[in-house]
Amino acid sequence: MRSIWAVAVNTLKQALRMKVAVVFIVLLIVLLPAMGISMTGDGTLKGRLQTFVSYGFSLTSFLLCLLTIVVSIYSLTSEIQQKQIYTVVTKPIRRFQFLFGKLLGVVLLDVVLLALFSAVIYAVIIYTPKFYRASRLERARADNEFFTARAGLTPAEVDVAQEVIDTYNRLEKAGQLPPGVSDNKVSRESYIKALTQRIKLGKRAAAVGHELVWEFNNVKPLDPNQSLFIRFKYDVSVNPPDLQVFGRWFAGDDRQVKYGANVQTPIYTFDRKDLIRTFYEMEVPADSVAEDGYLAVGFFNVPLNNTVVIFPPQEGLEVLYKADTFTANFLRAVFLILFRLIFLACLGILASTFLSFPVAVLLSLAVFFTGTISGFCLESFDFLSENLSSVYSYTVRPIVQLLPQFDKFNPTKFLVPARLLSWSLLAKAALYMICIKAVLLWLAALLIFNCKEIAKVIV
Amino acid sequence: MEYAIETFSLTKIFSDWWGRDKVYAVDDLSLQIRYNEVFGLLGPNGSGKTTTLKMLLGLLYPTKGRALCLGGDATDPKINARIGFMPEESYLYRYLNARETLDFYGRLFGLPAKVRKMRIEALLDTVGLKAVANRPVGTFSKGMARRIALAQALINDPDLLMMDEPTTGLDPIGTRQIKDLILQLAKRGKTVLLCSHLLADVEDVCDRIAILYGGKIQSEGKVKELLQQTDKKQITTGSISDTAVERIKRIVRDEQADCVVSSPMDKLETFFIRTVAEAQQLSSPTSGAVSTTQIGHFLAPEARPENILDKLVSTPVSREVPTEPATTKQVAPVETSQAKPDEKLLGKLTEQPEPAESKPVVKTKPVEPKAPQKEQIKKSILDRLAECSSNQNADREQTDRPQAGDSGNA
Repeated sequence: MRSIWAVAVNTLKQALRMKVAVVFIVLLIVLLPAMGISMTGDGTLKGRLQTFVSYGFSLTSFLLCLLTIVVSIYSLTSEIQQKQIYTVVTKPIRRFQFLFGKLLGVVLLDVVLLALFSAVIYAVIIYTPKFYRASRLERARADNEFFTARAGLTPAEVDVAQEVIDTYNRLEKAGQLPPGVSDNKVSRESYIKALTQRIKLGKRAAAVGHELVWEFNNVKPLDPNQSLFIRFKYDVSVNPPDLQVFGRWFAGDDRQVKYGANVQTPIYTFDRKDLIRTFYEMEVPADSVAEDGYLAVGFFNVPLNNTVVIFPPQEGLEVLYKADTFTANFLRAVFLILFRLIFLACLGILASTFLSFPVAVLLSLAVFFTGTISGFCLESFDFLSENLSSVYSYTVRPIVQLLPQFDKFNPTKFLVPARLLSWSLLAKAALYMICIKAVLLWLAALLIFNCKEIAKVIV
Repeated sequence: MEYAIETFSLTKIFSDWWGRDKVYAVDDLSLQIRYNEVFGLLGPNGSGKTTTLKMLLGLLYPTKGRALCLGGDATDPKINARIGFMPEESYLYRYLNARETLDFYGRLFGLPAKVRKMRIEALLDTVGLKAVANRPVGTFSKGMARRIALAQALINDPDLLMMDEPTTGLDPIGTRQIKDLILQLAKRGKTVLLCSHLLADVEDVCDRIAILYGGKIQSEGKVKELLQQTDKKQITTGSISDTAVERIKRIVRDEQADCVVSSPMDKLETFFIRTVAEAQQLSSPTSGAVSTTQIGHFLAPEARPENILDKLVSTPVSREVPTEPATTKQVAPVETSQAKPDEKLLGKLTEQPEPAESKPVVKTKPVEPKAPQKEQIKKSILDRLAECSSNQNADREQTDRPQAGDSGNA
């Protein structure tokens, strides 16, 4: 243990004294506060904060990723190339301990720098509202939509399979199927597909004078005295002349209406007129949620509209509520970055066990950049290889899936819209990025380094 | 275990990219080095000396055969905790200073802080770098870096010391010091393996040598047996009168042998060392390494790690070790040339072809003053050190005084 620590401390000293890390540190120390001052966003307090947190976090994360790659690779390759390693591995230290010391050193550096820079970002964020003396309204908006960690609930997708079959049978019995559908298997399947889509759409659409009701369970606002938000977007079958739609909304526990149960929670009603195809957030007092976490949201398509109102799938309707504090969310976001860095440190060490400095850096950068678009990579590979499914799924796919999913676990994705980054998601990120992928890299590095002849051929 | 180092038909073949054999760097090498032996591995460049050493240390894996160090595999932490290795060049971390470098290696050996501190100071003294201990190693000259590499190899008080070209890049004094150090270490029961092509160095210190060429041992044996011309005798005397010379010549002629009489030349090495020592006595400032002949006290004949730890932990070690001006430390070998007139026993000298050479070994022990020597028999040297570092000032002066006195005589 003592020897591992010695190697770790030595790695830290190297990174700092050889000025590898200093460049990055100075850059960030200068850039972060400058960004805090210069970034205005859309001019509102919330916009300013969102822009800063987005750019600040991205920049910090990007630079620290580069730093981790460079330091982890430099520290091992330089030691191999300048042969200090001869005097180290001949001491009572196992090779895995040596590698672990290197990793520990890099991770320590990362932890310290990440703590420092996220503290800077946090401080800038916290002091921005005070510094700009924002109006009470703006401040309230920032509090509700930025300084919070909101969980989002989307309505569960209704299983329509049975309904489709019923409808199909009914149509068949009535002889209303299009000609040729019942004899041909292919055309029957495509007809059922179309039918499914139609019925699914029906679940999201409110005809004129009709009502849509979504029921949510497990709504757990942090504080019942605060608000929750209903985020929605209208789509229509026929564009209204002024592109606006009237809507009457209900929120509350509708079981008292439905079953006559004796529940004390109030039901709130809102009448509003909103532009179509635009996101809106409607503030609803959080005490509308029943004690057991039940909440129903209803939308009544006012006859005045004269058009069917459709809520697009996935993002058409969402209930947002404050589930945690901003600080806790921020902290978890920082951890997400740390996981990234640990992964990259393992990658760098693996690369430098068998590659020279420039090649190892190139490889790691390639993995890093592909990792930041891994979702796109996976999708496009999936799409392109639809026809070679078995070949593809046993060859390319596992490799592509080994890439880190930096985009999936991108902290700004959560902080900018003030979305809850839950512990479970954090644990998931840790599991995929560290427990599986980083450990695999690490084992490969150990294997290569153990078999390697440290003193290369000099005849 | 009989041998400190043993190899069984050790072979290293370097192959090319396709796996075809290219070079036999070491070919079927079987080597036995006994405990407490100073063994020299000689050979021209590319004869496989370094490759052998690297295989012994586990830096290279043998293609065939096996290498044992201290009865085991050198990659085993239990074994390599007892090995000191000085590579052919000083591979050091440029950004660490001398003290940090030694501290780093001390930590790798898991030495506790107090022991580490004590040894680092002693070693910096030994290699004469105390004055520049806080300078980054990257700014050191080659010789200074070499000294750090040596100190690094000694920090664990090794039982087996492997040195690859230990004297390259060192000035004559440094070379001399390393040689003296090797002899002293041998005296204290260490085994030393020396790879070199500097024949003079090897000749002075090694008990046995092996000459490698093309990865094979060409010749092996004791230095004295290999080099001694048994059919000749050399007599060295102090200044004696011409009549005495004539008388000796007559005696030799009576024995039916030829006789040549001349004044012996000082070795250039001896002369150089004397000159520098005189300059040092005049306190000429230098930015380089300072020469001392002190040996790290902890390099004890029977160092038992447990004991050292117990002693040192129980004794409070104060942080400051007094740093005296480096110039008070003197090179003891200076007096060797002056010491000659005292020795008039020709019979003894006949066995020592170079009296000036072998003498300093006996003389360079200023760290062990004669007065406390009886106590030393009971206590180990390390005990003494522990005391020394606890109530240092008084003790230190005592240790240093005989040394200063010595040089004063010179």
